[in-house]
Amino acid sequence: MLEISDIRKTFHPGTPNEVRALQGVSLDLKAESFAIIIGTNGSGKSTLLNAVAGSFITDTGRIHLAGHDITRWPEHKRASLVGRVFQNPFMGTAPDMSIEENLALAARRGLPRGLGWALPRTLRRELRDRVSDLQMGLENRLDNAIGSLSGGQRQALTLLMASWLKPDLLLLDEHTAALDPKSADKVIQLTQEIVERDKLTTLIVTHSMTQAVNLGDRILMMHKGRLLHDIAGSERQRITAGDLLERFEEAGRREVDSEAKD
Amino acid sequence: MTLLIGATTVGLILALLSLGVYLSFRVFSFPDITADGSFTLGAAVSAILIVQGHSPWIATMAGFFAGMLAGMVTGVLSSKFQINGLLSGILVMTALYSVNLHVMGKSNLPMANQATLASEAERLAGVLFGLQGDLHVIGWSVGLRDAAVLVGVFALIAVCGLTLYFFFRTNLGTAMRAAGNNPQMIRALGVNVDALLILGLALSNGLIALSGSLLAQYEGFADVQMGVGMVVWGLASVIIGEALVGSSRLGLLITGAVMGSLLFRLLVAIALRWGLDPNDLKIVTASFVFIALVAPSILRKLKPTPVEKIA
Ligand SMILES: Nc1ncnc2c1ncn2[C@@H]1O[C@H](COP(=O)(O)OP(=O)(O)OP(=O)(O)O)[C@@H](O)[C@H]1O
Ligand SMILES: [Mg+2]
Repeated sequence: MLEISDIRKTFHPGTPNEVRALQGVSLDLKAESFAIIIGTNGSGKSTLLNAVAGSFITDTGRIHLAGHDITRWPEHKRASLVGRVFQNPFMGTAPDMSIEENLALAARRGLPRGLGWALPRTLRRELRDRVSDLQMGLENRLDNAIGSLSGGQRQALTLLMASWLKPDLLLLDEHTAALDPKSADKVIQLTQEIVERDKLTTLIVTHSMTQAVNLGDRILMMHKGRLLHDIAGSERQRITAGDLLERFEEAGRREVDSEAKD
Repeated sequence: MTLLIGATTVGLILALLSLGVYLSFRVFSFPDITADGSFTLGAAVSAILIVQGHSPWIATMAGFFAGMLAGMVTGVLSSKFQINGLLSGILVMTALYSVNLHVMGKSNLPMANQATLASEAERLAGVLFGLQGDLHVIGWSVGLRDAAVLVGVFALIAVCGLTLYFFFRTNLGTAMRAAGNNPQMIRALGVNVDALLILGLALSNGLIALSGSLLAQYEGFADVQMGVGMVVWGLASVIIGEALVGSSRLGLLITGAVMGSLLFRLLVAIALRWGLDPNDLKIVTASFVFIALVAPSILRKLKPTPVEKIA
């Protein structure tokens, strides 16, 4: 489904601020698999997701998704294949527009937008149904500005928006990091429901080891712009949060060792 | 009475300007200075075509499209070439000064006895309603031409305002508003934000040029200086409109922009009547916008902060 081969990205090359954020990442993600990306701050997790979503074009390497070579596609074109939820609840919605307008925008993700009504009656009915499925009581506030909602409510809606038209790939970047524990649980539960129901191919970034061991079928650990561990199959079944923490420490130690050698 | 009708007519004509400014400043948060040039461009293109004997309808449409073109250039400079938005507008506005002089061939172009939309409105009133000479409305005597122009302009503004309103409720228009509100989000939903900015600025400047075209035809001449300060004028109208309707609903905001333009023009007419030196008009307008921009935050500081309730 998603094939990434040896992508690299350096920000501000040739300047004192040079950051080699991705240093040759390759990844092959089967259809309907649900992979968790973990890694320390600055290890390149968001950059990897951004590279796939097309926020920038990679320096080298190729990206294939759902049978297309999307390496050079601009972000808005990739959006026809990719649904996305950001870490920051403010990034995924248009705050001054109403809940239903935001959802209507998502209902045409990747489709041409012409002079048809944005909110025809049939769509409105469907909106109401799907929003009431969230059980947050938002179905009676559909004409409120989405900016008036809490972060958790917004993330739940953004998730609904990203998955409204089944995406070939769902990208979730620490989408519960800004939420209180209860809202985070709710959004994670919703994520699980949607991914399972629609059999979505999913890449999710998280700092929560609990989420990492409880969700999905594969764990990818990033370190310094590289994929350090790829844990799947029976190993994935057995792994615990403690094991993961150990691997973090090991990665840290190796870093100190190599620095000592230099 | 003539003064009132004149001010209302000009206020309505300039409502198109404030709709255009609303589109760039409010929908896209794009401080588009192109307006000063495109307002004159609309006037210049229409005036020269009218002087050359073309139909005023065609001349007006041409003015509108010329404005759209100017807006597109600003949009391309800012999105494709990544030039700061304010600077893109300044570049195009400056270039338009020369363009306008070339279009008109001189700095002031009168349309002395040619058919304009103003004379067209008078003729239509005659043909459709068999009206002639002065009208008598509740005791006042009103020139037929003035009345016909006022009604015609009102109808045109209503059509433009409604079209804009309905446009904003289509898939394309909704995406355009989102592109202004949160470009990152709408890009992730598959929208080419650059293209929508270019289209939005084209529409905005088309409306502004249309406003210039109508004003020139109403006053009977186009002048290369007539666009100076129009952005600020439009912004003042938009701000007054927002205060009048006090709501963020789309329909009300559009109505507000029209009412704001009307009210502002009427206030200015009264001030001029009371002896305001016309030369001071621009500094008064600029000061007004300045006050409107800073007043809300000063008022907020003056208001005692409400004691937070203990939960
Ligand atoms: N647009 C950008 N311009 C410059 N540098 C960037 C950009 N995006 C990321 N970086 C840099 O690339 C490196 C990797 O950042 P990235 O955001 O991918 O880390 P991350 O693994 O998501 O970390 P976190 O857990 O803190 O979210 C960092 O050093 C960051 O400063
Ligand atoms: Mg990150």
